[in-house]
Amino acid sequence: MHELSIVISLMDQIEDVARVNKLVKIDEIQLETGVLRQVIPEVMQEAFESVKLNTICENAVLTILEVPALVVCNKCKSQFEPAIDDFLCKNCNLADVKTLKGNEIILKAIIGDK
Amino acid sequence: MMKVNVVKNVLKANDIVANENRKIFNKAKVLALNIISSPGSGKTTLLEKTIPALKEQKSIVIVGDLQTTRDADRVSGIALRAVQINTGMSCHLYANQVSESLKDLAIDEADYVFIENVGNLVCPGEFDLGENLKVVLLSVPEGDDKVAKYPTTFRVADIVLLTKSDLLGILDFDIKKVKDDIAKLNANVTFLEISSKTSAGMDEWIFWLKEKRSQSVGQQARFVTEE
Ligand SMILES: Nc1nc2c(ncn2[C@@H]2O[C@H](COP(=O)(O)OP(=O)(O)OP(=O)(O)O)[C@@H](O)[C@H]2O)c(=O)[nH]1
Ligand SMILES: [Mg+2]
Ligand SMILES: [Zn+2]
Repeated sequence: MHELSIVISLMDQIEDVARVNKLVKIDEIQLETGVLRQVIPEVMQEAFESVKLNTICENAVLTILEVPALVVCNKCKSQFEPAIDDFLCKNCNLADVKTLKGNEIILKAIIGDK
Repeated sequence: MMKVNVVKNVLKANDIVANENRKIFNKAKVLALNIISSPGSGKTTLLEKTIPALKEQKSIVIVGDLQTTRDADRVSGIALRAVQINTGMSCHLYANQVSESLKDLAIDEADYVFIENVGNLVCPGEFDLGENLKVVLLSVPEGDDKVAKYPTTFRVADIVLLTKSDLLGILDFDIKKVKDDIAKLNANVTFLEISSKTSAGMDEWIFWLKEKRSQSVGQQARFVTEE
């Protein structure tokens, strides 16, 4: 699924960061995934295990922090956390919102050795 | 041991190329549509009906499939040009696959670029290709619970087409349930029932396409004069 695509992009970024910071071995990767991105942590972990062999991430662990969704109603401007299948504003009974949080897939930090 | 704070969007590489594609579409004055659905919902059949119905307006088709050039072959006689991208392992198109194909398609000779994504109701919705609009198909045989089961893809749709509507009388399918489920996700989604077999709903679909294209090209014209 798309977890593999995400992990492949992630590996590219890790290699860039490692090169710039002269890291030779990565111990931990901290990744934030918004719940609206349909990333399944277990599938992501499996994808990571499959691509990390023979890379600087060979012995690294992937820590996934799920970020809850937050939206703002375009009508009444109230903010709320929607359910994945329900974006109705309780005031307006209408799903017309802007997403503030929950769409991100962010590489937060890397812990490694020089 | 050293901690490096990065804070980088992991999909940035794709998003950058998608934004480049969007500029190319806008400059060429085409409406680019990313067509998403489960395998077999009727994407290619719909294109086979849509392209001739657009009459003097010309279409270019980019098709993503894991294997084969079947779908591109099906539309190559009616589209101005058609190209197949074999995605191999990937269950969705990437922006850079689209940007590669755009190089020799001369899209400025067309009015529409239809990008038929790989049949899959989850992953294609996550990867911006630079399209102007997302078209999500749900076919009657798939069942009326699919919006609730795959909400994210339907939430990002600009239009949901309920395809194979000729089968509504044959299969048990609750349209109201589907409409209610979509309304819970996004009040701004257009919903149309359509059948490529009987052509029911085809006029509304063609009208929607033409309206969106003229809105989009009109905006681009204003944008250009303001520059
Ligand atoms: N009854 C009926 N069958 C249809 C309709 N549209 C498509 N079909 C049939 O559905 C099947 C799949 O149609 P395609 O157009 O190939 O579907 P697709 O979404 O392009 O499939 P993939 O590219 O493999 O994901 C074919 O056998 C079509 O003849 C329709 O409106 N009514
Ligand atoms: Mg097809
Ligand atoms: Zn509200």
